[in-house]
Amino acid sequence: MANKNIDSYIPAFGISLMVTSLLSALLVLVKETNKPVKAWMEALTGHHWTTHGVLVLGLFVVLGLVLARIPSAATARFGADARAVAAAVIVSGLIIAGFYLAEL
Amino acid sequence: MTKEIILMLHPTFGMLAVLAAVWVFVDVLNANQRNLARIRSASLALTVLMWLSFILGGYWYVRYYGIDKAIIKAGPWPFAHAFFMETKEHLFFPLLLLSTYLPIAAAGSRLLADRSARNLVLTVAALIVLLGLAMEGSGAIVALGVKMGLLGK
Repeated sequence: MANKNIDSYIPAFGISLMVTSLLSALLVLVKETNKPVKAWMEALTGHHWTTHGVLVLGLFVVLGLVLARIPSAATARFGADARAVAAAVIVSGLIIAGFYLAEL
Repeated sequence: MTKEIILMLHPTFGMLAVLAAVWVFVDVLNANQRNLARIRSASLALTVLMWLSFILGGYWYVRYYGIDKAIIKAGPWPFAHAFFMETKEHLFFPLLLLSTYLPIAAAGSRLLADRSARNLVLTVAALIVLLGLAMEGSGAIVALGVKMGLLGK
């Protein structure tokens, strides 16, 4: 796995991870505050969580592969920056936990 | 019986994945030519373990959790579902993304030469440990929520 080619996937999938994580958190807000959206997600696969998972994982893979083919994204330092990845994941977690805490 | 086995395997694979993340973290702190292959193997093992935990937990959640959810909501600990389960089921997605990303980050050709490359792997592994432990703790609270509901206390 260790070759020059894999290096382009590190920032590409790093950016994909950040974007997907934040969008997933926002999707939680949208589906929990919008019944038609949640009903649509349930109808699609039988369970809103399954649809959520398919969307998140699909977006992560597709976005990562697409970004790896874009030179500016495949070499972006931001995509492989530990602080940026940590910030995106922490903010996503705070959005999700904060929302459900506020709903109690 | 199948339901119970799935329910036990979910946190077991999750905890093994957390241990693999600790392993990766420690090895990357001391990264050198001799442990490079081990770092990459452990990263891949972590991904497999976390995916197994996700698939088994997800199957159990979609297939069986409805009954437990009703018991929790009718019991004295409704927050076990309303906060802990809801947060857990959605926080698992970033955890799964991090677990899938780790072997990609660890496979880079600059892992030994570049400190920022090591910091990325260390950060991803540390986040997996923290989120993984949060999942385990939340799962325990959800189980207690069911128990409290059944006891009617």
